[in-house]
Amino acid sequence: MEFGLFMELSVPRPWTADSERQVYENALEQVRLADELGFDYVWAVEHHFLEEYSHCSGPDVFLAACAAQTSRIRVGHGVIPCVPQYQSPIRVAERAAVLDIISGGRLELGTGRSATWPELSGFNADPDETKKTWDEFVRVIPKMWMQERFSWDGRMFSMPERAILPKPLQKPHPPMWVAVTSPGTEVDAADRGLGCLGLSPGGFADSEKKVLNYRNRIEVCDPVGAFVNDKVLTVNFLSCNEDGDLGRRNGLKVASMFSYMAAQLLSAKEVLPTHSYPSEGLLPALRRESGSPGDAARSFKGVTMGTPDDVADAITAWENVGFDGINFIHQFMEVIPQQYVLDSMRLFAEEVMPRFKTGTGTGTGTAADRRPVAAGVA
Amino acid sequence: MPLAGSLDIRPLVDGAPEVVLSDRELKVDDVDILQVLYEVRVADREALVPPALNPTIPPVISFLVYRAKESVFGPFALAQLRLTARSGVRPRAYLISARCDNPELAGVLAGSWGFRVTPGDISLRRFHDRVDCSVHADGRTILQVSLVDPVPVTGHDVQYPPGMHLARVTRDGVLKPRIVQVDSEYVFRRADRGRPELTRFDPADWGDGRLVPDIPVSASFAACDMTIANVRYICNPDVPAAEGTEKVSDE
Repeated sequence: MEFGLFMELSVPRPWTADSERQVYENALEQVRLADELGFDYVWAVEHHFLEEYSHCSGPDVFLAACAAQTSRIRVGHGVIPCVPQYQSPIRVAERAAVLDIISGGRLELGTGRSATWPELSGFNADPDETKKTWDEFVRVIPKMWMQERFSWDGRMFSMPERAILPKPLQKPHPPMWVAVTSPGTEVDAADRGLGCLGLSPGGFADSEKKVLNYRNRIEVCDPVGAFVNDKVLTVNFLSCNEDGDLGRRNGLKVASMFSYMAAQLLSAKEVLPTHSYPSEGLLPALRRESGSPGDAARSFKGVTMGTPDDVADAITAWENVGFDGINFIHQFMEVIPQQYVLDSMRLFAEEVMPRFKTGTGTGTGTAADRRPVAAGVA
Repeated sequence: MPLAGSLDIRPLVDGAPEVVLSDRELKVDDVDILQVLYEVRVADREALVPPALNPTIPPVISFLVYRAKESVFGPFALAQLRLTARSGVRPRAYLISARCDNPELAGVLAGSWGFRVTPGDISLRRFHDRVDCSVHADGRTILQVSLVDPVPVTGHDVQYPPGMHLARVTRDGVLKPRIVQVDSEYVFRRADRGRPELTRFDPADWGDGRLVPDIPVSASFAACDMTIANVRYICNPDVPAAEGTEKVSDE
């Protein structure tokens, strides 16, 4: 099993001149520790305009800082919105290549399309188009990386023949992923040979069905890139403590705050009748449409919270579902102290991670073991 | 931290309907529903909803118009002005006010579900190229809103969050301010969406002059069978829903 940190970079009010810097500093400290402890990935979201929820609008800059301060953890975009009003695919390919070089060939490129009304309308993007533009982005980006010169005459954009530079360090190119929140996106991922970056915790049965469907389809896929990335990662909340009650209490603080903050955002689906967004994005798994207005965020089975044994049991359950790894939301809105977060990560790495890296679980190695070779890098 | 409502409800309580809780539900077949949404630009979005609710980012108003040719109270049309909100993690719509052209039904809606409703003449007309709605009250037109260029969608694509209505409800023998959650079920027969067009609207006519429309969001028009369910939950408007929610029916 592989393990990663999932960074939203949420900044609680009241905002001071120092609030955002402190959140970024805390996150970088967590990433440095994760690198020392053997975590496989750090993923950074790209969100715009989402007050408090995420102030991570320049993830490539943040990930470059992560890369500069670490030596082995892989740095991932989780995910880049493939919406032309946000950015051109040329700029995505260029910036990602720079990050791959800066990181010494440690880039993972997650792709997606945004799901919130504030973001889509903020860029004057058409929600009906995002699935189509995402598809064109993921087809052209690997070509931009691999071809010495590239030209394109497509539906979304066109460009004359130009050399898109620099080229990524990893050859043939960095692994590519797609965020999977809407039902059916796992099929899109499989058919294109893309890794499945799960962003919504679901139930075991539903997840198992999705993973199985993905595995079956990717066997016969026609990849958009030069190779197939057949990994399936899910997301969970991490809080590991010898005192199980404290671990669960702090973990639920993070999960509840995450749920509340996400709930305040207007999803595209909620305000615009469209086939393009069959679910509401990141958080509907924790939200119910009817029922008591007083209910707190609903927890779900398999939360990775509690003692090391509790956390390991939950991971085993997800491993049995078929996931290759878990990315953890381990802090949100700074609701738990930084020291607790760091201690939780340490305990997890000491007591839990080895069970899934050395054969006690059924994990088969680290992300670095199974990545394309970076030219000039051992 | 999540934004929490800070609306002072005291000036609104006297005009809030008095609700008698019961197991009453209202089924209406073949209802036409127009919903038009606009973002509003306000500096203090917390002040738009009571502390029991959370504002959305950004705040959005919806014009929700029902028209039925038949019901147990006869034909009716009902036009609501609602504001998107959350109660904790749940999507909701806070009712600002409503107009209804059927006095008997208006009384039932107020007394059973807390609709803050006053009389109005409502026209809702569907054409192949547009759907037009107008509301007339007090001798003038107080709303003209349209859906332009309809294209078919499925009913699954259309959402009407449960309403949250400020009312007065007897608790422990005393009439107290409460937010009544109004759940409705819809079985869709047809749905279209289109471009919103708002040609006449003064939010002061509807009870909150701050709700000035800014950016058009969407418009939908649907035909469905509708059931307004009996009230299951009420909330103390002065505290977060997680603390002040009371279950009043199991159904």
